Amino acid sequence: MIAYIVRRLILALLTIWAISVVTFVIIQLPPGDFVDAYIVQLSASGSVVRFEEAQALRQLYGLDQPVWVQYGKWIIRVVQGDFGASMEWNRPVTEVIGDRLWMTIVISFAAIIITWGIALPIGIYSAVRQYSFADYIFTFVGFVGIAVPNFLLALIIMYFGFKLFDLNIGGLFSSDYQLAPWSWGKVWDLMKHLPLPAVILALAGTAQLIRIMRANLLDELRRPYVTTARARGLVEWRAVMKYPVRAALNPFASTIGYLLPFVVSGSIVISLVLSLPTVGPLLLRALLAQDMFLAGTIVLLLGILTVIGTFISDLILMWIDPRIRAGMHE
Amino acid sequence: MNLGTVTLGRSMLARLLLGTALVFGIASAPETLAQSSLSQSGLVGQPEGITIITDPAQWPKTFNEAPQLAELVKQGKLPPVKDRLPEDLMVIKPVREIGKYGGTWRRGFTGPGDDENGNRLNASDRPLLVDHTGAKPNPSLAKAWKMSDDGKTFTLFLRKGLKWSDGAPMTANDFVFWFEDIYSNKDILPQGIPDMTPQGKPGRIVKVDDYTVNFVFDVPFYLFEDLMAGDTLIGGGQAVRQSNKRSHGAYAPAHYLKQFLPKYAGGVEAANAAAKAEGFDTWLTRFHAKKDWTLNPALPVLGPWRTVQPINNAIWVMERNPFYWVVDPAGNQLPYLDRVTMTLAENLEVLNLRAMAGEYDLQERHIDIGKLPVILENQTRGKYKVHLDLALNGTDAIYHFNQSFEADPEIAKWLRNADFRRALSLAVDRKQLNETFWLGVATPGSTAPGEALPYFPGPGWREKWSTFDQKKANEMLDAIGLAKKDAQGFRVRTDNGQRLRLQVQAVQAFLPWPKISEMVADQWAKVGIQADVRDTERNLAFTRTQNNEHHIMVWNNGGTELLYLFPRHAIPVDPTEAFMGPEHAKWFNSGGTQGKKPDDPNIMKIFELYQSAAGQKSDDRVKTAQEIWKILIDQQYAIGTVGQSPALMGVRLVSERLGNVPSRNCIAQHCRTPGGAHPETWYYKN
Repeated sequence: MIAYIVRRLILALLTIWAISVVTFVIIQLPPGDFVDAYIVQLSASGSVVRFEEAQALRQLYGLDQPVWVQYGKWIIRVVQGDFGASMEWNRPVTEVIGDRLWMTIVISFAAIIITWGIALPIGIYSAVRQYSFADYIFTFVGFVGIAVPNFLLALIIMYFGFKLFDLNIGGLFSSDYQLAPWSWGKVWDLMKHLPLPAVILALAGTAQLIRIMRANLLDELRRPYVTTARARGLVEWRAVMKYPVRAALNPFASTIGYLLPFVVSGSIVISLVLSLPTVGPLLLRALLAQDMFLAGTIVLLLGILTVIGTFISDLILMWIDPRIRAGMHE
Repeated sequence: MNLGTVTLGRSMLARLLLGTALVFGIASAPETLAQSSLSQSGLVGQPEGITIITDPAQWPKTFNEAPQLAELVKQGKLPPVKDRLPEDLMVIKPVREIGKYGGTWRRGFTGPGDDENGNRLNASDRPLLVDHTGAKPNPSLAKAWKMSDDGKTFTLFLRKGLKWSDGAPMTANDFVFWFEDIYSNKDILPQGIPDMTPQGKPGRIVKVDDYTVNFVFDVPFYLFEDLMAGDTLIGGGQAVRQSNKRSHGAYAPAHYLKQFLPKYAGGVEAANAAAKAEGFDTWLTRFHAKKDWTLNPALPVLGPWRTVQPINNAIWVMERNPFYWVVDPAGNQLPYLDRVTMTLAENLEVLNLRAMAGEYDLQERHIDIGKLPVILENQTRGKYKVHLDLALNGTDAIYHFNQSFEADPEIAKWLRNADFRRALSLAVDRKQLNETFWLGVATPGSTAPGEALPYFPGPGWREKWSTFDQKKANEMLDAIGLAKKDAQGFRVRTDNGQRLRLQVQAVQAFLPWPKISEMVADQWAKVGIQADVRDTERNLAFTRTQNNEHHIMVWNNGGTELLYLFPRHAIPVDPTEAFMGPEHAKWFNSGGTQGKKPDDPNIMKIFELYQSAAGQKSDDRVKTAQEIWKILIDQQYAIGTVGQSPALMGVRLVSERLGNVPSRNCIAQHCRTPGGAHPETWYYKN
């Protein structure tokens, strides 16, 4: 057991290291370097940087050194928590991301809770009452949900929200509260704005989860142990929930790994459409502007969170699935 | 992503403007319909502007101030309003009535690169500012000015008692400080600017007394008066010229900025150490951050509002400058509005939707003309009124052919071929563009400035090489050696027989240039020219053009209507946004030491004419400008499409509550739309 966790931990560290290398390559990918961008910024004011000055700047930033030396310096800075400054925002990268991180987490958590809250009960119901009228309805809605791109859904809901209900367009606060310090009024204002983005974010995932849950549970329900349980007179509720549902939850647990990065970045397209102050649009913007310290940090962060998330889902799998635990002892 | 982008034909707009009945009545004359419906719609107002009362006898003798400031005075944190105002007052009579204090002006902005959104609101922080017609300079920071008869000395008379937003006096010393310690500091500005260097001879700033500054030149420089009144490096003022790592603008707060310069801070080592301690890499990066009013709330400024929450936040907040030096005739210290809040919109669609929802109080920047029907539809709900302000520039989508492009010799060869450019211009169906993207209200034609302006080169130059003639375009392309086509009908390169592919770099900024360019590319495809439209982020696009990497760049030529004041989108003389040839602009700007000399004699001729204009008196300058326009249009270095429209900052949504807003804005670079209309005089009626 301990050996398993240690092994996974070492693997996780190795993966994070590999991600840092890839991230660094991403930073270096666009033509030109930071100094080129800086020179452009200066010449935008009508002044021209001389070659000697440019070289001096490259020395200052260590850009004239071999790539592996640059990598070493960068990773040492990153390990110390110094991610550099965003070129576009003129602020430390950590501040720029930090500003938006909490909002992103709030929205994403709300979305996940809604997703699970809707998808699990419906999935279970659909499987247990297979081919019932309600199952057909849920199946139909589910397929539509999978087929409709959620940014389109966002646009449609936003349009009708504006047209019919005079809802605030995009953003998480109404203009009265945007500047106000945190208060109950502001929290309430946030609560009023939260459902729309959270529901839109949740819907696409919901349809998919319903299908997965239904299919998994159907597989389990046909197993002999379910028949046995029923034959022994176990209450239907217990016969379904105690074992088959637990087994069907396996795929959920193994996808928790992808939830963590989602929590942090949110959905880029939806956030963009709804103008949510989350990390997603920031990443897109940074990539477009070649604001590479910012983009690199976000990519690295997402990578690390994926690794951590996977590690956590391994642990959860171990906990809910005795077969995995048993497998470790063999 | 395109919610609300409605591309409607002319008749649809007319119906919205006039009501259905009228449309049926004159449906047989669709050409005149759009124009007449535009003028009858009540959306296009009459030019009107504030009045500056220069006679001291009519000035108010007692003064009022905003309640918050009165409170601070009571607490002893601020001197009384009388002591904050200069002896040489600036008294502005608003467009309509005396206003009331209070309220927040809500606007939308698109991010830290959109500093101009706020810079423009502080347009009065320049020595001179043009009036509402865009033609006549008014006093601003300077109460008066004078050009000597020989054209070699220009004098600014500053306001006695003028104060920075921290209460420190603003004097001639601030001009001298800028000249000696910023402009002449090679670390900050390695190079002089044409505005201060007529015929390559550097000029000087000389203090006569505390309130009199001379700009002294070795050669006649009559143009300097125009430069000082325009949106130029020398006359631009602090807000725009010293934000975003810029360092021009003729003056700077010496008492505050000195501490960040090595000269006054114990040398480079000490200044760098101090910068590092604050998290900056060098003293220079720190200096750039400290003199930027959008980033540094502590920076003393002279405009009506100062930043309290920097631009690199989700909301950029400005508050009134307690030492603002302008009063209304009743003695109320301006501005009336307490605050300006700019909320970050992640994309332009959201910004436009918020405007329609009435979430902004006055917004003209980033408003999409394509949404005009929806904007009109929502007027009552959003509690705003729509104004259409017509621009003076020739074209809202100008296709600059990079004359200094080098990376691909074959492409470069064609970009530099006049007949190639003319043929592509003839292949553009401007009517289709006008109807699709400008709702038919714009004027198709060349890049020339509006016919009403003195600089317009004359009859025939709107149409020259700028009509739709596919047949002639094909003939011309065949004749210059591009007759060979591939299987799909596209013309091929002369060096390797592959398809000739032009890249059009388009930014989604004020207009949907990527979409407009897709249509232009389709039109070019009909004469066998493949153009790939590259939808590029604004900063990245500028980086690429600075690095001479683009083939064709689409932008607008707003500002070129006053050729000498803002030439960069007409001729490559300014390395900033030199889409027509960044290397040539560097060459011209550096006096031949950097960049690349143009081989094209016509460009050299333009340079020569442009340089000679500075020493010419007004009448000759106008003739020279017409000459330059004739060469530009005949050579088609840039293709004009449609212009003189409300497309750029001309669709204005004004809250019903806002008073003193003119019914027509001057839409031009040097009018600093909307700042030229003196937003400090606007107020909330209720």
